[in-house]
Amino acid sequence: MIVIRSRELRNVIRVAVPFAVIPAITLAGALVFDQKRHIIVSLAVAVMALLLFTAGFERKTTGSRRLVIVSVMTALCFAGRFIPFLKPISALTIITALYLGGEAGFLVGAMSAVLSNFYFGQGPWTAFQMLAWGMTGLFAGIFAEPLKCRKWLLLVYGALAGVGYSFFMDIWTVLWYGEGFSFKLYLGALFTAIPYTASYAASNVLFLALLAKPFGDKLNRIKTKYGV
Amino acid sequence: MRSFSEFDPVALTVWFFSVTGVAMFCGHPLLMAISLAGAVLFFAVRNGTKHLRSHIFFIALFAVLALANPLVSHNGATVMFVLNDRPITLEALLYGVNSAAMIVGVLYWFRSLTQIMTSEKVLCVAGTFSPKLALVLSMALRSVPMFARRAKQVSDAQKAMGLYSEDNIVDDLRGRMRVFSIISTWALENGIITADSMTARGYGTGRRSQLRRFRFTAADGVFTLVTLALLGVTAAAIATDSLAFTFYPRIDIAVSGTLGICGAIAYGALVLLPIFIETEVSLRWRYLQSKI
Repeated sequence: MIVIRSRELRNVIRVAVPFAVIPAITLAGALVFDQKRHIIVSLAVAVMALLLFTAGFERKTTGSRRLVIVSVMTALCFAGRFIPFLKPISALTIITALYLGGEAGFLVGAMSAVLSNFYFGQGPWTAFQMLAWGMTGLFAGIFAEPLKCRKWLLLVYGALAGVGYSFFMDIWTVLWYGEGFSFKLYLGALFTAIPYTASYAASNVLFLALLAKPFGDKLNRIKTKYGV
Repeated sequence: MRSFSEFDPVALTVWFFSVTGVAMFCGHPLLMAISLAGAVLFFAVRNGTKHLRSHIFFIALFAVLALANPLVSHNGATVMFVLNDRPITLEALLYGVNSAAMIVGVLYWFRSLTQIMTSEKVLCVAGTFSPKLALVLSMALRSVPMFARRAKQVSDAQKAMGLYSEDNIVDDLRGRMRVFSIISTWALENGIITADSMTARGYGTGRRSQLRRFRFTAADGVFTLVTLALLGVTAAAIATDSLAFTFYPRIDIAVSGTLGICGAIAYGALVLLPIFIETEVSLRWRYLQSKI
């Protein structure tokens, strides 16, 4: 296995993979294969992104403290998924990412998706959910500084993340239907998903407004007390 | 032979992904019919008449998915009738039925997968790829009931202190938030202590073992080989266009040559493999029981 030693190069790769490599593969896949194969390309891309991330995580020496904190946050996210209509997963993922970094955020989001699907049903969409929630955390981690300073920015990010999650999952819904990416079907899917989209965005804003400060304090306290 | 769910997790994973992979990525109507029928049969064999509500949900979903396509897609040569100046075609309807069969079939497969691949088995498979993530996952799984127990204790204590009233919604919510806050502080602290204890006991110095021992036996090997062989035949038939199909402008479903027929039969055998095993096991069970 290749170990990338330079820290800067690692960071470049970490940002380049979601922003450049994955869209490039998607585009190439769309051009090379006919539209019936789009679903293979999309699933392959999702799985590959997750594998890349896992491989990076596996190679690093992450302290067991950090590992356990991630698993605790995952369990809290999962416990919250039983609340009807309101889902605190994204909010908790974002909060984790703000205080523990993007990688921890990605893990909490992705792992909560797997974990809760043990109860709500696993499926090929698990990979997409993992990616969608993981990205929510990753980006929150990248923009942690401005998001921590301004509360309204955090709430806007939460709302955007909720809408983005719904839009992202609807791409999967349409692709699964098997006619390639039909814009009409996509609009239809978005339209029928409006109540869900609204509930995602609303619960993100609500939980971020309620939890961001107290939870941030808790995580900060743990960080200073134990030096995670 | 053991019952199907007792096979090695890796063998089960290979079989599930072979079946659902072909179902999701091929789209040939014959294979979709086999997949849907096999999935429903498998689910019914395992669960009997239970889960009636799931069946009703899946039937409704099938209808919605099948009817959605002709409303948005107006390709196809055979116009059945015109709705809002848009032609509703037979081809688009059948395409919708095919897509619905694929989606509902895969949903049924995954319903059975969730039943068979318990979290323990998933952790075993995940642990071979990424021990760290498997650890995070298994600790989170264990934390959930622990938090629930702890939350009960905390809220009981709060009640005893007179801090918690349930007749007032605002007060109730406040109380719940307080319990949640206490739980999360405790969970984080407790996590750190767990982590330190793990390090002290040598976490990360050796290979992680499983609670239950899974052994990849000869039967698992044979099962995996048969699965891969059947998948190979089906994949060869699909790759060489022996199982080709088009819906637009006219429906043309081809099963050409020996390879096409073999591919379809192989997929049918792949789908029926666990049902054979389950039937064999239950017959033997009945036979042995009657002797006692």
